[in-house]
Amino acid sequence: MIEVNNLHKSFIDKKDKKNTVKALDGLSFTAKDGEITGILGPNGAGKTTCLRTLYGLLSADEGFATIDGISVTENPLAARAKLGIFPDKFGLYERLTAYEQIDYFASIHGMTGKAKKQAIEQVIEDLDLGDLAHRKTVGFSQGQRMKVTLAQSLVHQPQNFVLDEPTRGLDVMSTRILRNHLAKFKAKGHCILFSSHVMQEVAALCDRVIIVANGKLAAQGTPQELCELAGEEHLEEAFVKLIGSDEGVAA
Amino acid sequence: MNADFYQLKALVLKEYKEAFRDKRALMVALMMAFMAPVMIMVMSKIIIEKAIDEPPVYIKFTGAEHAPKLIDHLAKANLLSFADVPNDDKAIWDERNLTIEIPEDYVEYMSEGKPIKLHLQADFTDKAVKPPVRRINSAVREFSLSIGYKRLLLRGVDIRLLNPVKLVEQDTAEPNATFIFIAMMLGVYLMLAAFMSGLSVAIDSSAGERERNVLEMLLCQPVSTLKIVLAKLVGASTIAFIGVVLVLVLTSLSVGFVDLTKIGATFSLDMSTALFLMLLLLPICFLASALQLFVAFQTKSFKEAQSTVGMLIGIPAFIPFVVSMMDDRPQWLDWLPISGQSMIIESVFKGVEVNWLAVGATSGVTIAITVALVLALAQKLKSEKVVMALS
Repeated sequence: MIEVNNLHKSFIDKKDKKNTVKALDGLSFTAKDGEITGILGPNGAGKTTCLRTLYGLLSADEGFATIDGISVTENPLAARAKLGIFPDKFGLYERLTAYEQIDYFASIHGMTGKAKKQAIEQVIEDLDLGDLAHRKTVGFSQGQRMKVTLAQSLVHQPQNFVLDEPTRGLDVMSTRILRNHLAKFKAKGHCILFSSHVMQEVAALCDRVIIVANGKLAAQGTPQELCELAGEEHLEEAFVKLIGSDEGVAA
Repeated sequence: MNADFYQLKALVLKEYKEAFRDKRALMVALMMAFMAPVMIMVMSKIIIEKAIDEPPVYIKFTGAEHAPKLIDHLAKANLLSFADVPNDDKAIWDERNLTIEIPEDYVEYMSEGKPIKLHLQADFTDKAVKPPVRRINSAVREFSLSIGYKRLLLRGVDIRLLNPVKLVEQDTAEPNATFIFIAMMLGVYLMLAAFMSGLSVAIDSSAGERERNVLEMLLCQPVSTLKIVLAKLVGASTIAFIGVVLVLVLTSLSVGFVDLTKIGATFSLDMSTALFLMLLLLPICFLASALQLFVAFQTKSFKEAQSTVGMLIGIPAFIPFVVSMMDDRPQWLDWLPISGQSMIIESVFKGVEVNWLAVGATSGVTIAITVALVLALAQKLKSEKVVMALS
């Protein structure tokens, strides 16, 4: 379970105090176990800042974030051990093979020996990476890179799984594989939080949707509830309407 | 504890894989090590050539036409006719005015086996004239002897009878300035190797990884920044140490090809000396890599890291140089990193007793500074500033 409570974060320009960006302005939400929670928001709404706070890379000015009840600021290593992360920007170690990368992250998560080997082989099979596994990742296509990154964030079977726009650049087949994978995780009672700009995907996949605008929670609920709230038929229209109104419609 | 070890092992293994698979960068990094022995060889060759070189001497001959063979023989010893003097040196040799007079009856006397008198005229008190005169003397004697030997051979006499006693010269002089110069060069080279060999790996694993967006991913993992820094330090300093070992091994091999005894110098790098130097320089390798990582992580981009870290190379090149120039060295120089080690290296090469207290002190201080840098860097990687530089 991921809980974010009243997060505030400002980026202050040291030379020009007026040039301060308020990225998070009291954002709160909860992503429950056994659910897929989607974060929607326009560019610059504070999604990545929020997720980075969740990883413990940034510390909030006010408020707190917990993962399975562990405070991210107080015990970052224990909190991160419960997380699988697919970041906003990711790169690969181009001189390593796909297998070695996955192995590397599995080892960082404390897996060893036979259990590690089995987990790696499992995730390679699940994501259909068999042909690529023993090739160096230099020259991989965008989609292949995504798959390797997904594999390395899933290999330790994290209880909580955070994905920042995971389907960009993936082909239809891979997107389906990912969706099935997420559905399986959900069925096993994992907590999945993911941000996306693809409305159909959010509508199809998410149990709950959180709409963030200007660093605040603009609305939350099931896709159906959000459509009803905005009085629109499609989630896209509802989204535009919900972030467009200054007051926001808190559910 | 065990889990920590496995995690660190995985981190270090990955650094090694990345460092050793980038063959081109590795070659460039170790270029320095390969260059060192070559440089030292070329330098000492030049020095030796200078020491035993015979510059041309120009002599005014009269009656040269009578003795072409003698003239040829002299020319082989770089004793030339004044007629061939280049214009630049004309005035000098005109003033020195070395003249050799070959008598008209040279050919006649030669065929009759009578002694021939050549006359060498010069101002024998002039210092500049002395070496040429000595050379002319020995060249003429050599020529004379060779004819004499042939005459005896023709008469069936063993020419060894002419040399009942032979003097074998062995130089036991103390190592001279030339040798100390080579030793100093090697000292500076060893420092440079420690700083330069690991350079590209240090930059690549810090600023490079940040630029390739893999650092953010790593920082999000449940691993302490201290371990990350340690793994990168081990990776870079291993390459640095390989550089140092290569310089030592290649130099000890290549010095064998240069005949330093020609100039009365001996230089050998035996196993125990080499091992001692490796041990002495190991902390320097760690310090160099720690410094490079620390600086590279502060920079904003890969390019900036390259130019800034490159400037650090000035330290190992500059400090030993300054130290060697100082006449009375303050005590604290013994304790500082780099200056301490370079003085110890100097005394090792000079054959002076090594001050073990200084070895311990300078190694201790070097390691302490390295530890401080690592801890500071681990702390820095937790701060937001580094994360902000990510995007």
